[in-house]
Amino acid sequence: MRPITQIDWLEGRTDQKTMADIIPLAAVCVRDLTKSYGKESVLHRINFNVREGEILVLLGPSGSGKSTTLRLIAGLETPDSGEIWLHGRRVDSLRSRERNVGVIFQQYALFPQMTVEENIAFGLMIRKKSRREIQTTVNRLLEMVRLNEHRSKMPSQLSGGQQQRVAIARALAYGPEVLLFDEPFAALDEQNRARLRREIRALLKNIRIPAIFITHDQEEALELADHIAVLNRGRIEQIGTPAEIYSRPQTEFVATFLGAANILAGRVSGGWIELGALRLALPEDMPRTVDGDKVKVIFRPEDVIINGCLPQRPSNHYLGRSVIGEISFIGSYERLTVNLNLHQSEPELARPVAEGPPSNDSVIITVTRPRWEAEDMPLGPGQQITIGLSSYTVLPEQASDHGAAGHIERHRRGVEEVFDEGAGI
Amino acid sequence: MSAAVSRLSRIEAQTVIKPINILLLIGIMMPLVLLPLASIFIFGMGKGTGHLWESLTSREALFALKLSLLTSAATTVFNVAFGVFASYVLTKYSFPGNTALTVIISLPTAIPTAVVGFSLLLLWGPYGLLGQYLAEANLQLMFNTWAIILANIFVTFPLAFGSIKPVLESINVVYEEAAETIGATRWQTFRHITLPALRGAIITGALLTFARSLGEFGSTIMVSGNLAMRTQTAPLYIFAKFNEGDVEGANAVAIVLALMSFAIFTLIISARNRFLEK
Repeated sequence: MRPITQIDWLEGRTDQKTMADIIPLAAVCVRDLTKSYGKESVLHRINFNVREGEILVLLGPSGSGKSTTLRLIAGLETPDSGEIWLHGRRVDSLRSRERNVGVIFQQYALFPQMTVEENIAFGLMIRKKSRREIQTTVNRLLEMVRLNEHRSKMPSQLSGGQQQRVAIARALAYGPEVLLFDEPFAALDEQNRARLRREIRALLKNIRIPAIFITHDQEEALELADHIAVLNRGRIEQIGTPAEIYSRPQTEFVATFLGAANILAGRVSGGWIELGALRLALPEDMPRTVDGDKVKVIFRPEDVIINGCLPQRPSNHYLGRSVIGEISFIGSYERLTVNLNLHQSEPELARPVAEGPPSNDSVIITVTRPRWEAEDMPLGPGQQITIGLSSYTVLPEQASDHGAAGHIERHRRGVEEVFDEGAGI
Repeated sequence: MSAAVSRLSRIEAQTVIKPINILLLIGIMMPLVLLPLASIFIFGMGKGTGHLWESLTSREALFALKLSLLTSAATTVFNVAFGVFASYVLTKYSFPGNTALTVIISLPTAIPTAVVGFSLLLLWGPYGLLGQYLAEANLQLMFNTWAIILANIFVTFPLAFGSIKPVLESINVVYEEAAETIGATRWQTFRHITLPALRGAIITGALLTFARSLGEFGSTIMVSGNLAMRTQTAPLYIFAKFNEGDVEGANAVAIVLALMSFAIFTLIISARNRFLEK
């Protein structure tokens, strides 16, 4: 039996025999967590671990079960089956107050009748700590979150960002084993969001308490997390570092949920993937495939190389000829929609994308390139270009998100949908 | 043409109809409410404040007022405690009969006070359903202070509850969840989080209960026995003195009761305003 790797126990791929090795290693360990409300299954066999000092982000759309997962770990709900371990202690049958967790709620839930000080002191007060100890701890925390001048204010007198900091201080006061954040930035305006994100990450790294965040915002997940678990309809699609999730998605859902993605349907044939008359090399690390297998090729708009533009690397995979449909200037980058011809006949000339669906011979690819490149080599609609890929991911046909199959028509719509949702870079 | 007509009717409305309506309103209120209230003070002052003070400080009058304050206070304490408890149980727990219990709690104010008094006698009186056993043990619940308190509790039963329950229901459950994750027991959460949030409703409920209890007559006169210096509350005193012909004596206590009621009323209004702002 090969030694258990970090990825193994991160993704819960270890059996009962090795449990004893795993559990002490992880600060938080969740096994086969399942929850239904009546007939509706909300979570199905969720597995993940969080290491000491690590930040895990549960990322997914509404209804994916991330809130429920957080509430189950917090102890505000009981699972139908499964186990929750905190630092080697099994807690899933314990009440929330016995678990020693810290929760930061979406609306912060600061006690409205108490001052900032009293809110922070609450956890210590109910544990009957001495007044001196309470005073010292509260002062230290007020310093840490930089709210000393506001200590006597009522929650209603604070801004959203300040309330959030009080909520964090309040949760830290009694030394919890893990911090659970319920979409903590959702109530903040855009400006504050990015700044507070970084501050909180820095703070968490400083105090080395493990934390679990839930969010539906991919940018937030990518910036905050040491590891991301992507949830969809009550199941984990993939767990990995932000780089892994973004560059090597294992399912179509993960590919399209984080950032934009182009998806092409192809067929395996003799070490190549055939896309109409075009072809791409089959990666070596692909699971076993047989000629004739249907696969999906996924690549991001920024991975598309327009011939003649940098970076030119021998590893760039040539794709084919195409015609530019539309070009948009998005500030730091330029976005092009491009008509890629799958049959290498004369590319359709100057046919704007908006005018009706393209024929079955071609697909619409979304391409982005940095502003400097756009200025160096300007392009216009109707121009013919050849494109290649700097990297791409190949998934077997069945690796679509749970409950959906991938057809070539769907992927076209998928690309449009992705941009409608504003899932920009 | 029509513009001129409508303008004319608007002016007419402002300068003619509006004052007429206001005067009409006051005119209706005069004989019904305003004049009777004024009579208490006018009549009492008529004979000179010396007489008034004498009647007021008589032993019987002072006793009656003290008894009223005592029984009202006891009733208030009990009903507010019960109101908080009942609101908690009926809000937090779902069980068959939850709605029914809420309705039943609200029932007592609809029952005529004479009926309330009578029913208490039937139960606790010396020949009552349960009272007969008490009589054997030489205990008595009727015709004493306990009787007055029991009757007042019955009559004011839903007042504090009705003030507290809606507020408890409206409190967002997330605060209690937060308290629980922080490590508070149910009691700690209740004491530190829930109760402070109910402060306004509790004060309003207490004032309403106290005011109503202070003025209670119908049930008290049946269950107390109306014995001067023993079980005679202030409203009963007024009734007794008037029947005896001592109008001044009755008047004195009436003025005090009226002033007390105004004071409580003002407190209720200001309490409502203060806590509604939050």
